[in-house]
Formats: sequence, C-alpha cells, structure tokens
Amino acid sequence: MTDFETTNPPRRDDLVQRIELMEAMIAEGRRATTRFGWIFVMWGLLYYAAIAWEVYLPAPAFAWPACMVLGFVIIRAWRWRLKRSGAGDEGIRSRSISAVWGAMGCAIFLYIGAAAFSHHIMNPAVNAAVLFFLGLAHAISALILRWPAQGAAAAVWWIGGIAIFLAPVDATIYIFLVATFFGMVLFGLYAMMLERQRAASLVQHHA
Amino acid sequence: MTKHDPESSTSRDELLQRLELMEAMIAEGRGFTTHNAWIFVLWGLVDLAGWSWQNFVHTQFAGTWAWPICLIAGTVLTFAGKALQKKPQGVPNSVACGRVMAVWGMMGLAMAIYVASAMITHFAWQYSYVAALLMMIGMAHAISAVILHWRVQGVVAAIWWVGGAAILFLNSRRATNDIMLLEMCFGMIAFGLYAMTIEHRRGRHWANKSA
Repeated sequence: MTDFETTNPPRRDDLVQRIELMEAMIAEGRRATTRFGWIFVMWGLLYYAAIAWEVYLPAPAFAWPACMVLGFVIIRAWRWRLKRSGAGDEGIRSRSISAVWGAMGCAIFLYIGAAAFSHHIMNPAVNAAVLFFLGLAHAISALILRWPAQGAAAAVWWIGGIAIFLAPVDATIYIFLVATFFGMVLFGLYAMMLERQRAASLVQHHA
Repeated sequence: MTKHDPESSTSRDELLQRLELMEAMIAEGRGFTTHNAWIFVLWGLVDLAGWSWQNFVHTQFAGTWAWPICLIAGTVLTFAGKALQKKPQGVPNSVACGRVMAVWGMMGLAMAIYVASAMITHFAWQYSYVAALLMMIGMAHAISAVILHWRVQGVVAAIWWVGGAAILFLNSRRATNDIMLLEMCFGMIAFGLYAMTIEHRRGRHWANKSA
C-alpha cells in the first residue's frame, strides 16, 4: 500500500492524470452496474415469485427462504463461471460497488434471519428497514458513480420505507410490490438497455 | 480493465499507474477516516447522553424529547466541527475520500429519514427498530472496511451486526439497553479513539518531518 505519509504534493500534470483516471473508473463502475443489470431484474422477479408462492401455493413458510437461496445460488454460479472464464471484476469503483451490495446482502440476511427466528418479522419497523437498506445501497452506489437514475431508484425505496410507517399494515405488501417494480425491475431493465446500447455501439465501432 | 474487455487498450504502464492510484486512494480513504474519527466519538457521547437522559430522568419531557434533542445537537455539533476542522496534513488530493464520504453521508441521510419516520408514526419503541439502526451502522462500517481494506473496521461492523441480531433474539428492554450501551462504548467511542490515535501519530510524523 502506498504510504500517504510520504506522498509529496501533486503536480498539475499528476492531478490532470488522476482526474482522467478517476473519470475512467467512474465509467467502468457504471458499466459494471449496467452489465449486471439483469441481477436487479432477477431479484425483483424473485421477490414477486416469493410473494405469489406465499399467497397462492402450499407451504408459504418456505416461500421467501427458498426464493432467496435460489437467488444466491444463481449469483454464485454466475460469479464462479465468470471467474473461470477469467473475466473478473475490475477497477476500484467496481470493487467499491461490490462492497456496497455485498454488505447490504449481509445486513439484510442477518436482519431478516434474526427477525424471522425471533418472531419480529411482521413489525412495520422490520419491513421499512429492509426498504431503507435497499435504498441505502442504491444511494451509496449512485453517489459513487454519479448516476442520477440510480439516485431515483434509492428515492423510490426510501419513499416506500416511509410509506410503510404511514400506511396501514395491510398496505405493506402493495408498497413493497410497487417499490420492487420501480426500484428493482425497472431500474434493472434500464441498466440492461444501456448495456445493450453500449454493446451495439461497440459492434458498429469494430465493423 | 482486463485484457478480456474488447475495447481495452490498456498498456502495462497504465495498469501499474492505476494500481498505484488505487493504493494511494485506499491510503487516502483511511487517512480521511482517521482525520474524522472525532465524529465517531462525538456520536458515541451523543447517544450515551440520549440514552442516559431517557433512562435516568423519568419525566414525560425526557421520554418524548431526549432523543430528538440529542440527535439534533449531534448533527449541529458535527457540522460545526467540520466547519472548524483544518484540512488534513499529508493527504494531497482527497478525490478518493468521496467514496467513504458517500457511504457515511448516505448512511446518515437514510438513518435520519428512518428515525424521523419511526418517531413521527410512534414505531420507535419496537426492538426491531433499534436493531435496524445497529444493522445500518454496521452496513456502513462493513462497506468502508472493504473499500479501505481495514480489518479493524470490519470487526467494528461485526460488533454492530451481532448487537442488532442480539436485540431481536433477547427481546427485552433491559437487554436492548445493555446492548446499546456496549455498542456505543465499543463500536463508536473505542473505534473513534483508536482512529484518533492513528491520526495523532500521523500528525506527529508530519510535524517531525517538516521540522
């Protein structure tokens, strides 16, 4: 690690170079998010699947654990494949974004797990907290990547969290469905569309 | 960027430069955290004040206003302290610190909205509400720990998360109070003092160097 204690004051050229690199890294981070846009869509659909199972299918107690485990398995398998092919993640921005989503995943997993086992899961504070965790991850990522669209996704989740506190308990599920649609599925589709456009422009560039 | 990216034309020198920049950024980010470590201590003391006021002064005013007053006082003191604080020595250009700032800034914003919503709607008494606050702080520490490659902060994140889970499992007012007290002492004040010690050493090193 570079020791910041021994770093000399930077020259103008160094600063310009650093800014250029920073901009390149922001672009990389954003590209990484758009490339993984399908993950947002997948989680959104898994939330819907879990809710549908809970309402319409037998053994509703297994709906959320089963869907969450399935989501984690898909992501682990995809990451394993990515690692094997050598196309791993790159750039400090990408690593920062991974840190944000990884920490959010751990926090939600621990919190929901503890709340479920201790029979607190139906509390409005728990449901609102989950939406706030998701919004927090989007907000940090948006600020790191300077991406207003993701900032809007964060706002959707936080507004949903506030609404859970204000609305009757019966409305919680509808708030969650709407927040999932706008903050997860729609944002994921938007990110996928950006990735598709980028790929198309690359093809044209090489043609 | 890796060689697998079709649009990549990154040379070895550029990669080395990037690596150096990343390392410098991590060091800067840590320097930024230690420079602002007083904020952890301040919030630990603010939380302790709010906790003591609510638990030892048994009046209706204390029950209703202890936390709002302490939280607002903490916010005002944080902004005042930041305004009076000198720029850190030896940290040349804190572009990288933006990431750490983003984490703590957004955590503060999320927490402020969550706390305000819960208080206004009278849900702030639920154990799950207190547990969520601890989880949120733990999440910010965990993200910062991974970004800065800082194990000590990772341990602090674990302390907050374990505390949050424990509140839900123990499910009692007394346990919640005890856990909060422990979290403020270890997760907030002790970590803040540790980071301040590092900052103090760094400051002395710079003073010796410039002498």
